[in-house]
Amino acid sequence: MPERLSVILIEGSYLLQSGIQSLLSEFPGMRVTAIFDGSEKHLAEKVLAKKPDVLIIDPNTANLELLSFLREIDANNGMQVIGLISNETPDNVVSRFPHVLNFFECKYDLLESLKAILGKRILSAGKSTNNQNLSEREKTILTEIVLGLTNQEIADKLFLSIHTVTTHRKNLTNKLGIKTVSGLTVYALINKLVDIHDIEHK
Amino acid sequence: MLIQKEMKLADVLHHDHNLVPVINRFDIHLGFGEATIEEICEDKKINREFFLTILNAYHDHQYFPKKHLQSFPASSLVNYLSKSHRYYLNEKVPEIESYIDDLKENKDLNTETYLLLKNFFGQYKTELTQHIEREENLVYPYVGQLEKYIEKGIVDRSFLEEMEAYSITKYEEEHDDVEAKLYDLKNIIIKYLPSTGNDSSYYKVLRELFMLENDLNDHSRIEDHILVPKVEAMEFTIKNMRTNDA
Repeated sequence: MPERLSVILIEGSYLLQSGIQSLLSEFPGMRVTAIFDGSEKHLAEKVLAKKPDVLIIDPNTANLELLSFLREIDANNGMQVIGLISNETPDNVVSRFPHVLNFFECKYDLLESLKAILGKRILSAGKSTNNQNLSEREKTILTEIVLGLTNQEIADKLFLSIHTVTTHRKNLTNKLGIKTVSGLTVYALINKLVDIHDIEHK
Repeated sequence: MLIQKEMKLADVLHHDHNLVPVINRFDIHLGFGEATIEEICEDKKINREFFLTILNAYHDHQYFPKKHLQSFPASSLVNYLSKSHRYYLNEKVPEIESYIDDLKENKDLNTETYLLLKNFFGQYKTELTQHIEREENLVYPYVGQLEKYIEKGIVDRSFLEEMEAYSITKYEEEHDDVEAKLYDLKNIIIKYLPSTGNDSSYYKVLRELFMLENDLNDHSRIEDHILVPKVEAMEFTIKNMRTNDA
């Protein structure tokens, strides 16, 4: 399954919302999952709950308490925070953001800036992962998941660290594009990796 | 296109026929001739602002009603959302089940695979039903209580405490897990079913699944962008109200 980058936009202006979305649509793997206009209550909480990969903030958004908001989302994990600035944005505002996009730039420069900020992730997003076939190890782990074992139990049984099991699990879910255990079960049965009787007796 | 009160409802439907089930939930049915939205609302005693808000929210994914939220009661919104729940459970889900049943007729598909799909969709249905029941038994009555206290202008202290423990903001986080199953089912049909050379029965199931997914996305957009902000504003009003120690 292609990787996707989820984006949250904090922007009060309808015109800018549409413009940014149109810009982001140039990257097939980027997806705006929510737009807030800055007036929402508990905004930081809502943003964090959605665990976006990228957060784009317009510091001019009315009703947005920028400083306290940035403080609240500060403990982010891998979330890229980008400020949307113009030529007139004061330096002390620009310096609040780890990354900025200047909306007066031309489309080409904007796209280049985004690539520079997001790096490899943006290019791999939207493209399918190479080698869709499951490795033998992944097939074994898939079978154990389907039989109802927890990550810890699989790790113990196969003499692997739980971290390795989690990684395999994540990779095989990405390769197949199937997230739930019941979905994986259907896949394993169709491909005869497990027998229906094994599952019924688990 | 922004849908406005002067427009003929017929023109709106020509533009976006997916709104037919939406108007049905307001008890409006096809055969309204040349009537405008304004006329229909008057005739059917429907809150016009509310009707327009819902139509626009379904039609335009970027529609943010913001200032119009105050112009209708939360109870009409909750009533509308419950009706769409009934539509999913009593119409859409059985429809998909019958298309899945039709897969039996495909001689190239073995019974085992057919049963797997049927069973998987059954599990999805159970989860969707539970999710909907939780909303109807927990969230909607809560909204009704908020409305009642605002009307009275005075709130019980015990309710204030309850409100602190369960705020609508939490509810937003709860509702995106059911989607994963639907996504998996689509992927299994597209990528992993045995090739039979005849896709028309698969296609029918798939088309319905995509439509249901779309409907559910619209539904949660309305919850996130209309219900939640409205209820948050109500919670805010209540926090600043006189309290009744009883």
